[in-house]
Amino acid sequence: MDLATLKEYLPFLVPLVIAQLALAITALVHVLRHPRYRFGNKVMWVLVVLFIQFIGPALYFAFGRGEE
Amino acid sequence: MGVLEIKQLYKSFGNREVLKGLDMDVPEHSIFGFVGQNGAGKTTTMKIILGLLKPDSGSVTVCGEKVTYGESKANRHIGFLPDVPEFYGYMNPMEYLKLCGEIAGLSKTRIKSKSEELLELVGLKDQKKRIGGFSRGMKQRLGIAQALLNEPKLLICDEPTSALDPIGRKEILDILLAAKGKTTIVFSTHILSDVERICDRIAVLHDGKLALCGTLSEIKERHRLHGFILEFESEETASCFENAEELKQPLISLSRDGSTVKVLMKDCDMDGHFLLGVLSQKRIVPLKFAVMEPTLESLFIEVVR
Amino acid sequence: MKGYLAFLKKELFEYAKTYKLFIMLIIFAVFGITNPLIAKLMPEIVKSFITDGVVITLPEPSAYDAWTQFFKNATQMGLIVMVILFSGVLSSELSKGTLINLLTKGLFRTAVILSKYTCMVLVWTISIVLCFGLTYGYTVYLFPQGETSNLLFSVFCLWLFGLFLLAALLFSATLTGNSYGGLLITGAVVVVCMIMNIIPNVHRYNPISLATDNMGLVLNSIEASSLYSTIMISCLLSLIFVSLSIVIFRKKQL
Repeated sequence: MDLATLKEYLPFLVPLVIAQLALAITALVHVLRHPRYRFGNKVMWVLVVLFIQFIGPALYFAFGRGEE
Repeated sequence: MGVLEIKQLYKSFGNREVLKGLDMDVPEHSIFGFVGQNGAGKTTTMKIILGLLKPDSGSVTVCGEKVTYGESKANRHIGFLPDVPEFYGYMNPMEYLKLCGEIAGLSKTRIKSKSEELLELVGLKDQKKRIGGFSRGMKQRLGIAQALLNEPKLLICDEPTSALDPIGRKEILDILLAAKGKTTIVFSTHILSDVERICDRIAVLHDGKLALCGTLSEIKERHRLHGFILEFESEETASCFENAEELKQPLISLSRDGSTVKVLMKDCDMDGHFLLGVLSQKRIVPLKFAVMEPTLESLFIEVVR
Repeated sequence: MKGYLAFLKKELFEYAKTYKLFIMLIIFAVFGITNPLIAKLMPEIVKSFITDGVVITLPEPSAYDAWTQFFKNATQMGLIVMVILFSGVLSSELSKGTLINLLTKGLFRTAVILSKYTCMVLVWTISIVLCFGLTYGYTVYLFPQGETSNLLFSVFCLWLFGLFLLAALLFSATLTGNSYGGLLITGAVVVVCMIMNIIPNVHRYNPISLATDNMGLVLNSIEASSLYSTIMISCLLSLIFVSLSIVIFRKKQL
């Protein structure tokens, strides 16, 4: 991919990257600050949240987070 | 007319009959101790009063309004503290009370002033933490605050103290005492010392019915044992008294423990004068001469057995 | 009424505080952006899979492809994410007993069910509008000369299908009282709708047509009027589901 195509897709890439980062960071902060989970451990959830794009944080908030 | 009236209440779960014709009447401005063994049906009764459970038959009225199962209009007179109150963990106490106040239909300013007053009362005033991080005792205290928010005529507490440590228990009892006068309180428990500490009326639930009901002093009077405890200065005088000819009757039972003698009399006509007569005849002056008071515990065991 | 509003506020607050709203919005926003992007990149992606010697001529991507992506993603992934996120709508409150305090404060059970449904509908509406808006914007940017018909009506149908699905979810959650049972019955409702679709005459009345006929509408191969009866049926079924939820919940022993 050359620079021109990259520039063409910039309006897509920027919001996508921002969305992914926002999700991952929110989830990461939550994982680290609430060290009780319905299942799994901290290391597992950090990896899931950081490396599975979009689905990872969603999975964490839907199933992984423990009761407060 | 009583604040709470229960008539001929029946409820069974499967083929286990829990309530078998319960009748209960709670007069205004009393603290009513609702005592019973674990599983006697205390929580069931309370849930029926709140319209959360459907009774098989019988009726419950709160402040003259009949309780209906499901959507109970009588609930606006009631404040309820469940045995383990549960809250939304993501809220702080102020936010939670605001939600309760809005549901109860209080005005904004009223909610604010009332919440502050109640949080002060239960000692959670400066608590900005989310409820999720609260201890058992703190949740219990917040539970009382939410129950008192709409100034209910009847406050129902389900075992408010049983899960708490002694300090937490004392705090809760003090709060309940402070709420007396503003409202009528019914609270269930199996801790009899709590009852003795704050209740003026009790009812003992046993085998699906009230086995005992009335004011604390009334009940003690009714179940007064015709018994006396005498303490002497030495074992010899004690045994001398014990072996007195006058006391050798089928209606009198004696038991001696060291220099203390317990006298139980089955005949109601016989009383302390008789014993005093024996004492003066033998020219014995006891160190102590006391009438045996029935304890709530002995009453409870007697009734439940 | 005041109980309904107060509880609705609590529900919205809850979705915001438990990050569920945030996740819904981000995921639907991501769908919104990727729909036109995937449409645009599809020929390149296909090309990279093809070895030398095989010649396939691919049509130039158009706005239609972007909308195909939209209706595919939003219906399949989006609805699944939504149903999973909302599956605990009643079960968590029932299992923890958080409703008891509020019910004994005079909150009507009807208000609980209605405000829960309203809140789910609100979140779904915001999400689908966001997704649609982004897809629309980027599609216009990438394919300026795209012509579509019935676009808004088609999205409306999809939105209505979401309402139907949420009503089914609410009903099954009330019936079973736990989240897995809720998911299971909702899934079963969808499967039944799909199976029913095999019968030719049912298609006109089947709610699932609202989520399958969208591209036909956009391409104008399906008349908008052919869906009117489906819309009626879906509204009616949703109404029945919500009413049944209320009836069941009012009789539930807590």
